[in-house]
Amino acid sequence: MNLNNFNMNSHFLFPHTFKKIGYILFVPAFIATIAISVFKINIDNYWVIKVFAFADTFVMTNDKYFTVTQNGVVDEVILFCLIIGGILIGFSKLKIEDEFTNKIRYESLVWASYLNYALILFFTIFIFGLSFLNVLFFNTFTLLLFFIIRFHFIIYKLNKSSSDDE
Amino acid sequence: MTNNLKVLRAIKNISQEELAKQIQVSRQTINAMEKGKYVPSSVLALKLARYFENRVEEIFTLEATD
Repeated sequence: MNLNNFNMNSHFLFPHTFKKIGYILFVPAFIATIAISVFKINIDNYWVIKVFAFADTFVMTNDKYFTVTQNGVVDEVILFCLIIGGILIGFSKLKIEDEFTNKIRYESLVWASYLNYALILFFTIFIFGLSFLNVLFFNTFTLLLFFIIRFHFIIYKLNKSSSDDE
Repeated sequence: MTNNLKVLRAIKNISQEELAKQIQVSRQTINAMEKGKYVPSSVLALKLARYFENRVEEIFTLEATD
């Protein structure tokens, strides 16, 4: 039997080294996101470039479709970093990936999905108008964030408990 | 499901770390199995049986609730 084929459940995971890239992308983007929303920084006028748009619509302006338009791309870059970084952190193999860590990964993903959608339902009841757009924006990466936190917390706890035993 | 991995490991005088290396899993996995917190796949159970030169049934035992 080929021992290297043992991780049969980790087909869809990235190699371990990608985790570092994930942190490099995710952490600065996450800090920037929090700073921008806490200090209400206006980022629309930075990094303005011509972009192709499927749709470019605002309230009280002419709606444009399939057109080239001017857009500050800071928010787009941040969202790319958050999502790609988050996926690389959450779905890169651990140093030692086995069936047990696979199980923890699966359980954390289920747990994070429940938490994420529970929060959306909660905010749906209590947040209205334009503020709800904030909920939708944060929702683009919170599922990944909850998953990453829970997964690594459990792995951390296990590392601690098994080093206490020996 | 219960197991006597801890006993077998003591007989062989091998640490969790070393057993984990031999079986190619993490030490936490060995630890979780010994504590009964994780039920291994049949592949992993068979690998442990081969390592300890025992039959799977002699290492793992079903409980009433299984």
